Amino acid sequence: MDVFGVILPDRNRLAATLAAAARGKGGVPLYLSLLGLAAGLYAIAAIFIQGHAHTINTSNLVPWGLQISTYVYFALLSTGCTFVNFFGHVFFEKQYKPFASRIIFVGIVTAIAAFFSLATEMGRVDRMYNFLLSPNPRSPMFWMGVWYTCYLIAICVEYVNIQTSRHSSRVMWGAFFIAIFTHSTLGSLLGSVSSRVYYYSALMPIYFLFIAFLTGCALTTIIAGLTVKQQKLDAAFHLHPFVTMLRVGLGLALLITFWRTMIGLSAHLEGSEVFSLTLINSVLFGIVVVIVIPYLLLRMGSGANWLIFVGLFIMGTQLKARNDLVTGAFKIPLFRVYDMPEVVHYTPSAYEYLVVVASASLVTVLYIIFERSGVFETRDSKEVR
Amino acid sequence: MDQFDDRDILDIMHADLQRALKKPRKERRWVMAIDLKKCIGCHACTTGCMSENLTPPDIHYRPVKEEEIGEFPNTAMRFLPRPCMQCDAPTCTPVCPVTATYKRDDGIVAIDYQKCIGCRYCLVACAYGARSADVGRYYTGEFHNQTYEVEDSGEYGKSFKRKSHWHSPVGNARKCHFCIHRVEKGELTRCTTTCLGSATYFGDANDPQALITRVISRLNVFRYKEELGTRPLVYYLT
Repeated sequence: MDVFGVILPDRNRLAATLAAAARGKGGVPLYLSLLGLAAGLYAIAAIFIQGHAHTINTSNLVPWGLQISTYVYFALLSTGCTFVNFFGHVFFEKQYKPFASRIIFVGIVTAIAAFFSLATEMGRVDRMYNFLLSPNPRSPMFWMGVWYTCYLIAICVEYVNIQTSRHSSRVMWGAFFIAIFTHSTLGSLLGSVSSRVYYYSALMPIYFLFIAFLTGCALTTIIAGLTVKQQKLDAAFHLHPFVTMLRVGLGLALLITFWRTMIGLSAHLEGSEVFSLTLINSVLFGIVVVIVIPYLLLRMGSGANWLIFVGLFIMGTQLKARNDLVTGAFKIPLFRVYDMPEVVHYTPSAYEYLVVVASASLVTVLYIIFERSGVFETRDSKEVR
Repeated sequence: MDQFDDRDILDIMHADLQRALKKPRKERRWVMAIDLKKCIGCHACTTGCMSENLTPPDIHYRPVKEEEIGEFPNTAMRFLPRPCMQCDAPTCTPVCPVTATYKRDDGIVAIDYQKCIGCRYCLVACAYGARSADVGRYYTGEFHNQTYEVEDSGEYGKSFKRKSHWHSPVGNARKCHFCIHRVEKGELTRCTTTCLGSATYFGDANDPQALITRVISRLNVFRYKEELGTRPLVYYLT
């Protein structure tokens, strides 16, 4: 099996791509991404060198902040890519084929980018080996680690199969179900926390899966739109599946967001006032901006550029929505003493924002380099059962 | 001094403690009781705890909540000290992915500072907000500036110096552990000994003769957020 030129970029083409970038012919997206990656790596280095006390705005009142939100966001993006890959292969085989390798590749790099962010949130990331030496099978976080590893292996195998023109339905189905297990476990990580009413819900694993589908659809629509433009494909034919999936994703997101909010509002538990406290944001932003407006935008046009814009709009709003979800649980302190505010407000530091930039830039840089090195060029494939 | 059977309660609890330490660890069951009628809100327990465990800024193992109850003119102040509840059914230990926090056989919920990865899941899961993340803040703002900021607190009977953010307990979750390092040396918890109103009781609830056993068997006892099913080992007397 050829690794270079098939799974990884061909050495000569990679050198040519890098040389073009060095000569100033890399294009604005690549340079912006490289700039973002450099700034993000600087922030990550600062977090490790200076420590959390000097770089991060999380506290005992808000133990999880933007970095955990970013982790969740990228993990869900990755899941969404796997879902789209599955539904694309099953229901839209011909329309989907030109994008298959790109989408599963982005699924891999977003999963890696998620860890970029997670690593900076951990107090002692150097002790992660304790997941192996001292595991706790009762912890959803432990199972999250186990499933995430399986998930990464599965999507890497799926990518290799697509790239080597030996796509296997079994692997694709396996990756799909592992993605469901992995990211519903991520949902259960929050949903099983009985002390935080904002999280505590059996809906949470399903919420994560539905949101993963929506964000994955948004990201893959951008990829499909860019590919259609670049390769001058028939936009109406090839983009139709993505529009359909985006509409389904928006419907699922509306359903789960609505019921999560309604059930939360009806709770009479300590801390459940957070649902009424965040109601305006939940309705105006969480439903109108995140779901209704993208749906209306989808009805207004179907061209590649327009769909790229809609995808970017959904991805941007979803990042804020994930942050609202993760940090919303900490708005009401569990035990209010001394000068603690009645409602806790959290504003991420510049370093935290730069970690988001680093994760996003990593995905963009790797995608552009692989794309320009010809890794995603269409190959004849055969289905292997 | 508060008296019980004509003896100072600290003397009684000290004698109870010596008796408990003669038993194997698994036969002990450390329990605390706080008499809210006696608490005057002086925060001596909080400051005593801070100096005992050398806790950094923003980390209080035993804060005291001050509440105004009733409506004017029939109002009163109520003080509620909150150590870690050392729950028998804790919500923090099952979520730890690396078993760094665990329930000891004597009832204490402990943290292994050398295992903790600082994921803060236990902070999120604790129903009482009793856990804190040590992110490496210093009162002086600078590393190594003051000796007391990097001294060994001796928590859990081990040596930990906060020399930088790569030295535990910086980067770890932290919480009240009933001063187990003192208790195992035959000393009462710091908050018990510093309490001006003698409002804090501590001892082995498995000892039927112990003062703590008599105190928690009174009728005017409740446990904080007991409805959550966490079975706290801290009792409040009203």
